[in-house]
Amino acid sequence: MTIISAPAGSGKSSLLRAWAERAAGTRRLAVVPVRRDQRDGQQFWLALLSAVQHAAGRTELPAGTPDFHGRTMVERVLAELTDVDGDVVLVIDDLHELNCPEALAELTTLLTELPPHVHAVLATRHDLRLHLHRLRLAGELTEIRAADLRFTEREARELLDAAGITLSDATVALLHQRTEGWAAGLRLAALSIAASPDPERFVAEFSGSHRTVAEYLVAEMLERQSDEVQQLLLRTSILDQVNGELADLLTGRTGVERILLELEDANAFVVSLDAERTWFRYHHLLADLLRLELRRRWPEETPQLHRHAAGWFLGHGQVIEAVRHTQAAGDWADAAQLLADHAFSLTLDGKAQTVEALLRNFPRSADHPELALVHAWVDVVQGRLDETAAHLTLADDYARTAPPERLPRLRVAIASLKVSLARRQGNLTCVRDLTEALAAPLTGPTEDDIALGNDLRAAALMNLGIVEAWSLGVPDGERHLKEGALLARAIGRPYLEVSCLAQIGFAAKFRSFATVRSYCEEAIALAERHGWGAEPMISPALIALASTMIWTGEFDEGERWLQRAEVAVQLDSGPDIGTLLHVVAGMLHAGRGHHPEALAEFGAARELQSRLGTHTLTALVAGWAIGTQVRLGMLDAARAALAALPEGQTATGEVRNAHALIALADGEPRAALESVASVLDHTATVVGDMTVIEAHLLSAVAHGALGDQRAANRSVEFALALAEPDRLVLPFAIVGAAALLDALPRHETAHAALLTDIIDVTRGGSPATHEPSDPAPAEELSPSELRVLRFLPTNLSRPEIASELSVSVNTVNTHVRNIYAKLQARDRSSAIRRARELRLLSAGLPRSAAVTRSR
Amino acid sequence: MDAAPCQYTIRVNGHLGATILSAFPAMESRRQGTHTVLTGRLDRSALYGMLADLEALGLELVEVRRRGE
Repeated sequence: MTIISAPAGSGKSSLLRAWAERAAGTRRLAVVPVRRDQRDGQQFWLALLSAVQHAAGRTELPAGTPDFHGRTMVERVLAELTDVDGDVVLVIDDLHELNCPEALAELTTLLTELPPHVHAVLATRHDLRLHLHRLRLAGELTEIRAADLRFTEREARELLDAAGITLSDATVALLHQRTEGWAAGLRLAALSIAASPDPERFVAEFSGSHRTVAEYLVAEMLERQSDEVQQLLLRTSILDQVNGELADLLTGRTGVERILLELEDANAFVVSLDAERTWFRYHHLLADLLRLELRRRWPEETPQLHRHAAGWFLGHGQVIEAVRHTQAAGDWADAAQLLADHAFSLTLDGKAQTVEALLRNFPRSADHPELALVHAWVDVVQGRLDETAAHLTLADDYARTAPPERLPRLRVAIASLKVSLARRQGNLTCVRDLTEALAAPLTGPTEDDIALGNDLRAAALMNLGIVEAWSLGVPDGERHLKEGALLARAIGRPYLEVSCLAQIGFAAKFRSFATVRSYCEEAIALAERHGWGAEPMISPALIALASTMIWTGEFDEGERWLQRAEVAVQLDSGPDIGTLLHVVAGMLHAGRGHHPEALAEFGAARELQSRLGTHTLTALVAGWAIGTQVRLGMLDAARAALAALPEGQTATGEVRNAHALIALADGEPRAALESVASVLDHTATVVGDMTVIEAHLLSAVAHGALGDQRAANRSVEFALALAEPDRLVLPFAIVGAAALLDALPRHETAHAALLTDIIDVTRGGSPATHEPSDPAPAEELSPSELRVLRFLPTNLSRPEIASELSVSVNTVNTHVRNIYAKLQARDRSSAIRRARELRLLSAGLPRSAAVTRSR
Repeated sequence: MDAAPCQYTIRVNGHLGATILSAFPAMESRRQGTHTVLTGRLDRSALYGMLADLEALGLELVEVRRRGE
């Protein structure tokens, strides 16, 4: 790694440019110029990632997201760098402009973990807290400082020679002494000397002056320019970057671009920023001095210039620059309005920190009421919930007296924010407000307005859908999320689209696992396409997908997805996601018979949930926790927990089941049967079918204890029938149904295949490998063959299968022969294995069909 | 250092002309030899802000001195 640390004008950027030109053929370059006063860590990282991708030959632009995590980004950049073929040089210029401590810390991480084929070069005006001791000690750090960059007298002469300037040796020495070898000084001097009629005299006068070198020489250089060029330099100095259009606009002339090109060609501190030479910037030092000079010469005109610039930027969709210039013009009310209008869209773009920096520019006296809403957005994105609430109250107050044309959007914005806050705090009365606000039609004088309104609307639908699904458990949740996803797709907001889709899996909740799986897979695929596969936003889909696998007994696969979700769920994910994660982890442990771990997970889920108020999973967590306690033999604790439950929960199916479990442990099977009665006759509310399945299994155990084997078998059959469509294995695993199932006479069940799966799982195996390892069979099995196939896993003999299917034994033999041929199997067990791989034994959608569902 | 505003004198190398001085309206300036001395009341944030500005303008810092309240 190389660090160039030297003051302004020492020649750092020129040095970098010279190196870059030389390295161009042999190494890949990723160049990141840090923008002036960059306080937005995400924007810095996006620029860096983009540069690295560009060096790798890719042209995709990474998109910003509202929830940005530096560590994930660092991983991403490292992954990109590792994949690149050949040597890479990562160049970061003007690193001192990065005014974001978190980003700097993350950068340190990146730099210490760089792969060996990557060399980093950093340029900065002052030393930074990069903590690179390790690299320094290992001799891997090269430092270039001001003393190294200083021109020697000989080098000064070379510079002058190259500019076509001849001076006496003494004069060169004088010049060198005066500038102290400072690169900018020498180059500025060269410019003036080249245009001066009497070079020697110029140097003499220059040496005789005590004025600071930069000021003297810039003033000299400026004076020597034509009026046209002076106007250009001074007026455009207010911009960080200038192009022909802006230059024309600010100077009131046309074709001024020509001058910029000439200046660059004359090596006069103007650099083009793109290959086509359409955008330029001045050397920072020059620009600063020009800006000061502009304000000194034409103080009344400067605000007007800022206004013109603001107008141009707004017209070109660059809102942030527009706000900056409006602020610089001192038009605080206009700036506030502009920022308030666009703040939400900017936060969606991942520019929340930039918005925050802009907010800080407003003087206290110019506290426009709509800024309260902007503060609230920035606060909520950064997790400062109390401040969000406070600002929302201010915004609410303002809304009461706001002009009517601002009202519709204001209402949606405020209502949406309230719901977003409620997701983390649990006060859900605001949901109705949001639904009403969303019902109002979308209007606006300009297309811009409508676009901003749509951004808000899509996010509002997402927030509403999430709250409805999570806390209220109403089916509207799924509908709103779908609507939100569609709108987000239409307006090109992938972040919102993925966020909505990621939640639909949970919202669709135990309807049909095939449906849930395809929703989740769609969301995950879309997220991965945008590089968001490890972001928190996708964790609901990851967890829901994991849960479907755990429910069907695919514990290992489910665990893998759960682990992936754990990585994506960072510490500051809302308690809603955290709860789901713990619940599903608990289910996994329970299924594997690790009851202490399961109890710990359910306990964690309950703790998180208590922060949310009402929650769809509350009863489930309570019931399962108590059930686990019973299984661990903690009967007193279980009873106490049951007694402590609020009334609303005791009547739910999940808690009734827990009640029954306690009764069975107490040796009271009749009481157990009473407990589950309300579940079985569907009068108790349940989260889903699995609770009913569990109730049937508990009944079976109770009947068995009462000596009524037929009733027990009947109950088990009911359970199997309910479990069949989605192949639910988990309830059987948890209830420890092995004994029940063994008791079931084989030829009396219509669910032979499911049964075998369950037995496999309860014995510690897994029902099916998830990915087909071999290609699909050349020929599909016919319906009759499929029917026979389903009986293969059972221990029924061929005559018994024939009698089940009401066909002759010969027919069965023929079918079996064909099955073996088509599945390329030698015997019954390999046929069964192949069939499982291809998911031919599953009654739901085969996996391949779900994956290829067209969008 | 105290966070409340204090009197500071900041000495830089070279004479500062009107242009650069316009960047520091809160400070009084006088020339002393080949240096320029800027005097003014600054709190800590303003002090560090000013040092950053001096750096940005490529000025050479000679001395920063606090002179009580």
